[in-house]
This record gives sequence, C-alpha cells and structure tokens, in this order.
Amino acid sequence: MAAAQGEITQEMFEPVGADKKASEQISRKVVSTWGDAFRRFVKNKGALFSFFILVFIILMALIGPHLNNYGIYNQSLVRSNLPPKISALSWIPAFSGKENGVDIYQQRGVKQDFWFGTDQLGRDQWDRTWAGTQISLIIGLIAALADVFIGVVYGGISGYFGGVTDNILQRIIEIISGIPNLVWIILLILIMQPGLLTITIAILATNWVAMARIVRGEMFQLKSQEFVLASRTLGASDGRIIFRHLIPNSLGMIIVNTMFSIPLAIFFEAFLSFIGLGIRDPQASLGSLINNGFTILQIHPYQTIYPGLIISLLLICFNIVGNGLRDAFDPKLRR
Amino acid sequence: MGKYILKRIFYMLLTFYVVITLTFLSMKLLPGTPFQNAQKLTPTQLNTLKHYYGLDQPVIVQYGKYIWNFIHGDLGTSFQFGNTPVTSLLFQQFPVSLDLGIEAMIIGTIIGILLGIVAGLHHGKTTDWSAMILATFGFSIPSFIFAGILQYCLGVLVQIFPVAGWGGPMTHVLPVTSLAVGVLAEVTIFMRTEMVEVLNQDYIVTAQAKGLTRSAVVFKHAVRNALIPVVTILGPMTAAIITGSVVIEGIFGIPGIGKQFVSSIITNDYPMIMGTTELYSGLFILTILIVDILYGVIDPRIRISGGHS
Repeated sequence: MAAAQGEITQEMFEPVGADKKASEQISRKVVSTWGDAFRRFVKNKGALFSFFILVFIILMALIGPHLNNYGIYNQSLVRSNLPPKISALSWIPAFSGKENGVDIYQQRGVKQDFWFGTDQLGRDQWDRTWAGTQISLIIGLIAALADVFIGVVYGGISGYFGGVTDNILQRIIEIISGIPNLVWIILLILIMQPGLLTITIAILATNWVAMARIVRGEMFQLKSQEFVLASRTLGASDGRIIFRHLIPNSLGMIIVNTMFSIPLAIFFEAFLSFIGLGIRDPQASLGSLINNGFTILQIHPYQTIYPGLIISLLLICFNIVGNGLRDAFDPKLRR
Repeated sequence: MGKYILKRIFYMLLTFYVVITLTFLSMKLLPGTPFQNAQKLTPTQLNTLKHYYGLDQPVIVQYGKYIWNFIHGDLGTSFQFGNTPVTSLLFQQFPVSLDLGIEAMIIGTIIGILLGIVAGLHHGKTTDWSAMILATFGFSIPSFIFAGILQYCLGVLVQIFPVAGWGGPMTHVLPVTSLAVGVLAEVTIFMRTEMVEVLNQDYIVTAQAKGLTRSAVVFKHAVRNALIPVVTILGPMTAAIITGSVVIEGIFGIPGIGKQFVSSIITNDYPMIMGTTELYSGLFILTILIVDILYGVIDPRIRISGGHS
C-alpha cells in the first residue's frame, strides 16, 4: 500500500488465470516403483559389485564341475593332499603346486593340475567346492521359496482376516518361534537321516516365520486403505484383494526380506554340515569341506581356504545386495 | 501391565510345554538304538536293558512318567556316561557355556553400541562407511570360519594365545572373540540405524535450538532414545550365541554344553539330548519373556498398547 505512490497501478496487472493443462502436465518422464528401485540399486556401487560377484559364483557353481573331469567322488591315494596348482599361474606361490618349497606334484609324479588341490582321499577340491556351492545355492533357493509360498500366504491370511483367525495363527507362530531354530532342526535331524532332504524340510518348517510376521504387519496397514475398500465395493473376493492388491503393494518388503533370509539359510546348512549333522561325506557341502579341512588346517591350509572363502563371499554378497535392495525400496528414503 | 506380564508368562509356559512334548515325541520316533553293539546282545539281554530304562512300557505311560519326573527336576540318566543324572551333567557344563556366552555378549554389545553411535553420528561419511563394511563382514562370515582364522593366525602362526582349552584368562580370548564378532556386528548395524533415525527427529532440532552443547544433545537426547530398541535384539542374539557356542566349543575344545550336545546326538544319548534341548529352549523363551517385560518397562508406549491388546 505504501509503495502505491509511484506509476505502478493496479490496472497495469491482469490475472493470467490458471492453465489447468499446464499445471497438470508431467514435465519429467514417469518413473515406476520398479524403475525407481532399479535406478537406486544400480547407483549403489557396493551392491552392484556384490551382485556381479554373486552372479559369478552362481555361474561357477553351475559350470565349474564341468571344467575338468576328476569328478566329485573319484579317489586316488596317489594324489592325496596335493596343494593347488595351475600351470599357467605357477608364478603365484599359492598356485605353484609347492608346499614348504617342495614341488609335491613332481615328487609324486602327478602330471595333471588340481586347481584347488586335493583332499585326504585325493578327491579334487575344485569339483567338490563347486558341488558344495551348488548345495548352498539350492538351500538358498528353498529358503526363498518357503518365504514366498508359506510366509507370505500365512502372514497375508493372518493379517487380512484378523480376529480369531489371526489370533490362532499368531499363537502357532509364537510357539514355532519360541523354540530356537537349532533345536527345531536338530529334532528333525534326529528323526530322519541327516542330509539335504532333512535340511530342506527343516527350512520349510521354520524359515518363513519372520516373513509371515512382516507380511502380517503390512496387511494390517494396507487393508484399511481406500483402494481396498473400493475394490471390495466393486465386489472383489478376499483372495483377489489379497493377491492382486495387498501383496503387490508390499512386494518391495517381501523381496528385501527374502534376500535377507537366503544367507541365513545358507549359513545354517553350512553350520549343520560343519558340526557333522548336515550333508555328509561323500557328498560335498561347503560346511563339511571346511570341517574336513580344519582337521589338517595346520599342515594343508588350502583345503579350508577355498570353501571358506566362497561361503564367506556368498554370505557377504547376499547381505550387501539385501542392504542395497532395502535402501532401493525403503519408502523413508524416497522423497 | 500386570495382566500383560501374566499373559506373557502363560504363553511362555505353553511354549515350553510344547517343546517338552515335541522333544519327547521326536525321541520316540528316533531310528537306531541307544545301546552300543545292540546287534550283539541276545533278545533277553536287550529286553532286560529296555525294562531297566523303562523303554518297554507304552508310549503314553512313558510320556506321563517323563512329565512327572521333569516337574521334579529328574531328567533321567545319561546313556553315555555310565549312569550320571542328566541334570548333574548339565549343571556341570552349563556354567562354562554361560560364562563363554555372557562374556561374548557383554563385549559384543558394548563395542557394538559404541561403534554404532560413532557410525550414526558420522552418517554418510568415511567413518560410517568403514564401520558398516566391517559390520557386514562380521555379520556375514560364519563364526566357525572366524574361529578358524583366529586359531590359525594367533594360536599357530603367532603363538600368543593357546590353541584350545578353557582355563586361565588367556584361553578365553580367542573363543570369546570369535563368538562376540557376530553380536558386535549385529548390534553395530542396529544401533547405527537407530541413531540415524533419532538424530533426524524434531526433538533433536529443538535441543540444538535451545543451545545445548553437542555432547548433551548426543548423550542425553539421542543415545538414550536410540538405546531402547536395542533391547529387542537380545532375543535373537541369545539364539545366535547358543548356535555359535555349539561350534566354538567344538573348535576350541571347551567342555561346555554345546560340545556335549553334538556328541549326544551322534551317540543317540536320548536323555542328554532332551535335557539340552529343553535347557536351550527354556533359556531362549525366558530371554524373550524378559525382553518383552523390559521393553514394556522402558518404553511406556508399549506398556499402554500391550495392556489393552
């Protein structure tokens, strides 16, 4: 008002009016949830790097045993406890085939190369290590499937229906999770023979509980939102609402938690095999290989190093990728 | 609050009852016999043995007897060690495992909390990154591999600490460290997330706006609030310590329950397996109960909502 003294008067202004079209226009390319998550994940160098290591390990587990033809079970005492040797890389001490300066290959007259060496019975560690990695990966896959097919469904039903159903289902979960995993798995191992099948059943029986709880919480939050009400008004069945609306909306959470439960399951298998209650000789598992190597760790450390390195890498990379995915999907970080 | 605690205790007892029953049932379904060289025994000898241990009675009678004895603290006698009662064996070995577990837990938690605070305060900087990388490694690498590396490097190559055994303070270092690494990593990650979250809260801005010193803001406002949820990972941590101690005790030759547990399973020592399973579950269930109650005491929001549900 005080400034109205000059030449600027109100008549000089005219309202432009809101251009509805312009204000509603989307000036940037639309980014879907998945695209957004993908973009964030790719930006995370550590997670991307870990992802590629995982892909490498998975590929090696699949093709590694076919790269030579010693086989997983072939024994020969002539070639027992040979250190690793790769002729092309023999300038690296770890792959020279020498132990304490002595070329064991020459001493025994062994012509072939054993890339990761051999164990006490002369079995090729390279083949056995990758065969063990296959077991670990199978266990991880089973854990993921248990999460998705049991955990999500259980948690979904419990959270969606609520009331008495929820109460009963939650009491069951409370009892399942009130018993340490170790005890569950050992009780199962006692009834059946230790082996892949037993560990699979144990994982199917217990591994999904955390997932069920998370999905239940998500369901509680989502089911009272308007789009669910709208869908129900349009006559959608309960199953349709759960599987077409609620679960897709919590998919990010489900993926992230699946990624975290995979390394837990892999660790558990390795742990059980390590204490001799999992996969047993002659079958190979990373845990049992490490356990075998431990007995002669002081004399032939290479028998422990490679399986130990691979299981560690596997677990570290799964966890880092899981972290990367969580950051990529985390709604709190998204602005 | 009282109602809430009573409800928790009821569920705890129910869970424990299920554990006892499940243990009993799985023992009954076990393949193999508990008697060494069973093939060499004549049927009469076998029957006498079975009768002596009460294995010839109907399952339901055995179950009833089992529960009755359990309430009276009688877990039977070990098949492995002559006729030593399971309870006395457990009492003999448990303090060792408890010692190992508690030392690892205390060290892991304290260092983890400190590391988490430092990482959280330097959110996004190099300190944070390096702490997180270390924690991810510690969290991911299995404890038995850690134990192996430590034993080999510090016990064999550089002979600072004894390779195995359980006696003086020097023998504690390696096993406790191997067991503590996992706890440390988990607490660090958890504490750091909490710190970052708390530091972004409005009341921290308020405290800074009031002109409080940085240390007052950090310790009086941030750390105190960030510490509350750490109580919740005590349950999973106990489970991890139990699992971990089974391998660690094996590797370092520590005469604790974990080592005993594995050998009981391999030798089909039913009463011993049952006793250990029940001890582990009881410990775990009790920890969860304590965590639930403690959390209710520390955080009034839980107390109120818990009382109503």
